[in-house]
Amino acid sequence: MDDQTAYTNRCACGWEVSGTMDEVVDATIDHGLRIHHMEATREQVVAVLLGEDPATQASA
Amino acid sequence: MTRDPAGWDVDSLVQAEVFVVWLDGDRIQLTGPDGPQAWYLQLGTTDHPVEVVDRIVRDTVGPPILVHSTSWRRDRDAVILSFVVAIGAEAVGSMASVPIDRAELARSEATAAPRDIATSAVVEHGLRHLAWLVEDDPVVAAELPAAWHPVLAGYIPEPFRALG
Repeated sequence: MDDQTAYTNRCACGWEVSGTMDEVVDATIDHGLRIHHMEATREQVVAVLLGEDPATQASA
Repeated sequence: MTRDPAGWDVDSLVQAEVFVVWLDGDRIQLTGPDGPQAWYLQLGTTDHPVEVVDRIVRDTVGPPILVHSTSWRRDRDAVILSFVVAIGAEAVGSMASVPIDRAELARSEATAAPRDIATSAVVEHGLRHLAWLVEDDPVVAAELPAAWHPVLAGYIPEPFRALG
């Protein structure tokens, strides 16, 4: 079954994105790289969206 | 189902804090892709801060007139390197801007950093630093368009120093 959950990620700079998990992850990675020089992995963004510790994901 | 918003922020141990400024008549305005506020960039262990700031500004805003690091301090659980980046009016586009007002500097004690440093104090120090460079550095004097010079003359020159 498809995940119908709506996710939102809010950057400290004021930028915000809402949508499906894939949409929010892709937009967050793009925003982070273009605007903040952040090289985030998909796993790190997913961890943040799910309220997990991204550091754990980054070292996994 | 809708989940609560997650939070996202630059979190490296060294961060660049960029103040994008432009000259609107005889007033210096603050702008940036995030709006008229400090713009934070992640800096990795092998990154050269000036190169990163220059490249991200070029890619996001357009070619800068001047990129200069003006102070550093400890904040946001990181070492913050503050930059003033001057751009031309033509590069502002749809980015929101606010005029920069004068502000008091955050003064250090003899052997200790200031306890609190407001963003306005960082910008004030950056512009004073720029004013000093216009007088002292021929490259800066040549690169900054002539209209900037009398406006910056209103700022008390002050060289690079640690703010925290």
